Amino acid sequence: MEPLILVVEDDETIGNFISAVLTANGYKVIRCTGGKEAIQMNASHVPDLILLDLGLPDMDGLEVLKNIRMWSKIPIVVVSARGYEREKVQALDMEADDYIVKPFGTSELLARIRTALRHGIRSKDGEEKQESFVTIGELKIDFDKRIVQMAGERIHLTPIEYKILALLSRHPGKVLTHDYIIREIWGPYANESRTLRVNMANIRRKIEKNPGEPQYILTEMGVGYRMADK
Amino acid sequence: MDNQDYRPDPEAILEKIKDEEEKETGKLKIFFGYAAGVGKTYAMLDEAKDRYNMGTDVLVGYAEPHERPETLRFLEGLPVLPPKIIPYKSMELKEFDLDEALKRKPRLILVDELAHTNAAGSRNRKRYQDVEELLNAGIDVYTTVNVQHLESLNNVVEDVTRITVRETVPDYIFDRADMVKVIDIEPEELLHRLKEGKVYREERAKTAMNNFFTVENLKVLREIALRKATERISNENQNERVMQEKMASTKFLVCIGASPSSAKCLRWTARAAEAFHAHWIAVYVEEEDMPASEQKQAIRENMELAEKLGAEVTTLNGHDIAETIAEYARLSGITNIVVGKSRNKKTIKSLFEMDFEDKLISLLPQIEVHIIPDSALTRRFKAKGRLIFLKPHLSFKGSDMIKMAGILLISLLLCEGLQTLNFGEQNVIMVFILSVLIVSRITEGYFYGVFGSIVSVLLFNFFFTEPYFTFNAIGNGYPLTFLIMLLVALITSALTVRIKTQARLAVEREHRTEVMYEINKKLLATRETENIVSLVLDYAVKLFGRSVILYTINDKAEMNGGFLQSEEEEDASFMRSDDEKAVAHWVFVNQKRAGAGTDTLMGAGAYYQPVLFQGNVLAVIGLSCKKGNLDHNNRLFLRMIAPLVAMALERQRLSDEQRNILVETEKEKMRSNLLRAISHDLRTPLTGILGASSAILENEGTLNAETNHQLVVNIREDSQWLIRMVENLLSVTRIKEGTMNVTKTLEAGEEVIAEAVGRIRIRYPGRNILVKVPEELLEVPMDGTLIAQVIINLLENAIKHSKEDAFIEIHLEKQEKWAVFEVLDNGRGILKEDVPYIFDSYMPGGDKPLDSSRGMGIGLSICMSIIKAHNGRMEAENRSGGGAAFRFYLPVEEN
Repeated sequence: MEPLILVVEDDETIGNFISAVLTANGYKVIRCTGGKEAIQMNASHVPDLILLDLGLPDMDGLEVLKNIRMWSKIPIVVVSARGYEREKVQALDMEADDYIVKPFGTSELLARIRTALRHGIRSKDGEEKQESFVTIGELKIDFDKRIVQMAGERIHLTPIEYKILALLSRHPGKVLTHDYIIREIWGPYANESRTLRVNMANIRRKIEKNPGEPQYILTEMGVGYRMADK
Repeated sequence: MDNQDYRPDPEAILEKIKDEEEKETGKLKIFFGYAAGVGKTYAMLDEAKDRYNMGTDVLVGYAEPHERPETLRFLEGLPVLPPKIIPYKSMELKEFDLDEALKRKPRLILVDELAHTNAAGSRNRKRYQDVEELLNAGIDVYTTVNVQHLESLNNVVEDVTRITVRETVPDYIFDRADMVKVIDIEPEELLHRLKEGKVYREERAKTAMNNFFTVENLKVLREIALRKATERISNENQNERVMQEKMASTKFLVCIGASPSSAKCLRWTARAAEAFHAHWIAVYVEEEDMPASEQKQAIRENMELAEKLGAEVTTLNGHDIAETIAEYARLSGITNIVVGKSRNKKTIKSLFEMDFEDKLISLLPQIEVHIIPDSALTRRFKAKGRLIFLKPHLSFKGSDMIKMAGILLISLLLCEGLQTLNFGEQNVIMVFILSVLIVSRITEGYFYGVFGSIVSVLLFNFFFTEPYFTFNAIGNGYPLTFLIMLLVALITSALTVRIKTQARLAVEREHRTEVMYEINKKLLATRETENIVSLVLDYAVKLFGRSVILYTINDKAEMNGGFLQSEEEEDASFMRSDDEKAVAHWVFVNQKRAGAGTDTLMGAGAYYQPVLFQGNVLAVIGLSCKKGNLDHNNRLFLRMIAPLVAMALERQRLSDEQRNILVETEKEKMRSNLLRAISHDLRTPLTGILGASSAILENEGTLNAETNHQLVVNIREDSQWLIRMVENLLSVTRIKEGTMNVTKTLEAGEEVIAEAVGRIRIRYPGRNILVKVPEELLEVPMDGTLIAQVIINLLENAIKHSKEDAFIEIHLEKQEKWAVFEVLDNGRGILKEDVPYIFDSYMPGGDKPLDSSRGMGIGLSICMSIIKAHNGRMEAENRSGGGAAFRFYLPVEEN
C-alpha cells in the first residue's frame, strides 16, 4: 500500500506543487492549511508521515509539532526558511525527524521523505533494534568489535572519535544537532562545541578523501551533522 | 513594520520628562536658627518623621544629638545611617558616611550641622560639599545651620560677639536652598533651656554661657538671622525683570591683596552685591615684585574666599595698581569699587604721592568708591609683610659683589687720572654717579646700588676731598655733595630695579601669551581626540614641569586617560591608579576641581581640574602634586589653557558627529543604489517567467514538445536566479544596522566551504570544483551563513565566467592572523577598466550594473559588505595564466 502523507502548508501554490510531485512518485497525499486542522487530521487519518510547514497562519508550527509529539512517534519533516537556524534546531530538539529548507527542489524533497519513512519503519519495528554493523558507501563499522574500515582498510580512531562516528552512523541520513551529539557523548551540561568541532575535523581527515568536500559526514551549518545515507 | 504604527504616548513623554527633571537635583531644605539650641534639629526630625509616616523613603544621615534626650527620642523609628568611624590620633571620630548614603539613595536624607568640617581623611573637607553631592545625586536633603556660620555674615557676627567662627558655609548654598525654615525662640527662653541643660551638658553649658550665650549676643544674632531670612524672602518676591535690570546696572569690583583686611572687603562686597542683585568681581593686581611665599599663600586664600562668596576672580598685571584697576573698571563697566584702607603714618613720600583711592577717584570720577577701614591687627601684618617683601633684594651674590667692586675700582682709577690731569672735582662726582648707575644696572636688587653709592661717597671723601686720605670733609659744602650723590645713586638704582622687574614681568607675560597662542594654533591644526590629548599633555608637562594626565570621555561616557610622565619627576605612575581615577571621575560628575590643594579629596596625589564647555565637562586635566601644590600662577595658567582645550575637544566632537552623519548618508546612498539595481534586476527574470508560463498556458496543444520543454527550463532558471538574489538580499539584513557588524561565532573554515560547495553542486551538477583546505583545522570567528553566501557568490561568479569543463578552485589557508579564502578560475578574467569598481553595485556614471547579464555586480558588492562587517578585506585580480582570483581575508582572532 502506498504511504499516506499529510502535507501541512498554507500556501496553495506550494501545496499544489508538493502534492503533484508526491502523487507522481507513488504517495497518497492529504492536505490541510492550518495547525489545528493538522492535529485533527493526524488523529483521524493516521498518516505515515507529516510534512509540516513551520509558518502557519493559525498557530506556531513548533506548537503543532509539540502537540503531535506528545502522543505520536509519526515521522515529521518540517519545512523552514533559510537563515532560521534556531528554528530548525528547536524543531529537531522537539524530535522532528528532519527538516527541509525553502526553496527546495523535488529530488531533495523526495530524498528527505524516503529517509524519514525508513526511520519511521525502523523505529516501529521493535524499538530501534541495535544492528551489529553498518555499511555506508565504502565505510564499514562493526559495532560489536568496534572496528571501523574504510575501503577495506582499518581506520584507527580515538574512543571519542569512535563514539561520535558510531552515533552518526546509527542514524544515516538524519541530522543530529550539536547539542544532541554533545549530550550523547559527553553527557548533559557539557559545553564541548569546540571539542566536537576539533574531533569532527580529525574524523574527517581519517575517513574522507578531502575534508573540504566530505562524502560521509555532512555539515548542516548552524544546526548539526548528518551521516550520508547510501 | 510594527514600529511605523508606533506613536509615543504624550503622557508617557511627560512622565519621562518629569522623571528626568526629578532625577537632576534633589531639593535642599535648611532649618535656620540664630544659635545652638533653638530647636533646629528637633524641627528637622519632626518634619522628617511626618514625611516618613506618609511613606517617604527617609534616612537620617547624621544627627548631632549633643545627647539631648528629646532629640534622641525623635530618632526612634527612623532609619539611621551608621556613622563612619575615622581614626584620628588616639580618638575615633564619627563622620557622616557619604558613600553609603549615595549607595542607599533614599528619597530624603537628614544631615545635621551643614557648617561642619569633616575629619581629615574624608572625601570632602566640608560637610556642605557632601550635601552638594547628595543633591547632585538627586536626593532631597534636610539640614541645619546657624546664622554665624554663613560666610558673608561671618565678620559681622564676629564684630558683634567678639567670637571668631571658623566653620563657615558659602552663601550660595544658603541661596540655592529650595526652602529655608527659620527656627526662632525668644533669647530668654533659649537661655532658660540652656540652664536646664537641654542644649549642652552641664559643664559645657557654663562655658558656653559665659562666652557666647549672653542675652545681648543672642538678641543681635537673632536680629541678623531674621534679617537674613527677610532678605531671602524679599529676593524671592523680586520681579525677574527688575532684577535683570539691576544686574545690568550695578557691578561691583573689589580689590584684594595679601592683607587679611581683604577678606573683610570681600564679605562686605558679597553682602552688598547680594543686596543689589549685582555681579561682582574680585581683582588682584599682580605686583612687579614677586611676593613672598607667605603672601602668596594669603593671596590664594583670599582668592578662594572670593570664589566661595560667589565672585568672579580676575588677576591683572600692571605697574600702577590704581591705573590698572581704573582701566579694567572702565572696560568692564564697573559701577562700584570697594577698597580696603589702613591708616598709614604720614611719611615724606606720602606728601608727594597721591593716595591710592584718591588716584582712583581722579581716574574714575563717575564710579562710586567704597572704603572699608582696616583693623589694627592688619597693620602689624603689613609691617611684617614689607620686610619680607624687601628680603629677596637683600640677598648676596658673589658675582654681583665682584662686578660692583670692579666698577668702583675702575671709576676710582679713572678719577685718579682726572685728578692728576686737573679736570676738576665736578667731573669726579659725575664719574662716581655714572659708576653707581652702571652698578645698579648690571646687578640684581637694590642692595648693590645703595651699597655702591655709599662706597662711592666714602671713596670720594677719602681720595678727592681735602684733607686727602681722611674721611674728614667739613668745609666747602661737601656734606651736601655727599647727600646729593647718595640720593642720585638711590633713585637711579631704584629706577633701574623697577625697570628690570617690569621687563621681567613683561617677558613673562609675553611668554604666557606666546605659549597660549602657540597652543591655540597647534590645537586648531590638530585632528582626532588622541592627537589633541597628546599635544595638550606635551605642553602641560613642558609648562608646569609636572606629570600630567588628561581624561576625555568617549560617546559611551567612558573615561579615557592620556598620561605623560614629566622628566623632572621620578615616578608619577600613581596617577594611573584607580584611586586617582576615582578623583578624576568625581571631577567629571561634580564639575568641580578636586584633589591635592583643594577642598575635596585633598588626599589625592594630584590636582584635577575640569575642562568645561557650555556646562558640560569634556575632559579632566590632572597635574601631579608630588613636588608640592600648584601655586596661584600655575592654577591661573591652567585655567587659561582649559578653554582652549575645551574648544578643541568640542570641535573634534562636532566633526566626529558630522563624519557620522556622512557615513550615514553614505550608507543611505548604498542602500538606494542597491534598491535601484535590484528593481532593475528583478524585473528581467520576472518578465521571463511571466512570458514563458503565459506562452505555455495560452498555446496548449499548439506548441511542440521541444519548445514547451525549453520554456519550462527557462522558467526554472529564472526562478533559481530570483531565489539566489533574494538569498543575497536576506543576507544583507543579517548585518546589523548602524554598527554594520555581525554576530560572530567560531566556525570551522572547512565546514563553511563544504556547505557552500555542496549547495553550488546541487545548482551546477557536473562542474569541476577543487577544494583545498589546510591539514590543521582552521577555526574562524564569523557568521557562517553569511560567509557561505560569500563563497557561493564567488563560486557562481567563477562558474559563469569560465567554460563548462573548466576547473574552479577554492582554497583556504592561514596567513599569520588571517584566514584566507581564495576562489580561482581560468576563465576570461576581469576587464581592466572594471577592476576598481568590481565590488561596487553600480559603476560611476553608468546606469548598467556591472554584469548586466544578471546582476552579479550586486552579488559582489554584497560580498564586500559582508567581509567588511567581519573586519576583513577582499581583493580581486587577474591570474598570470588567465582567469581571475578573488580573495578575502578574515581575522582569525576576535578583535
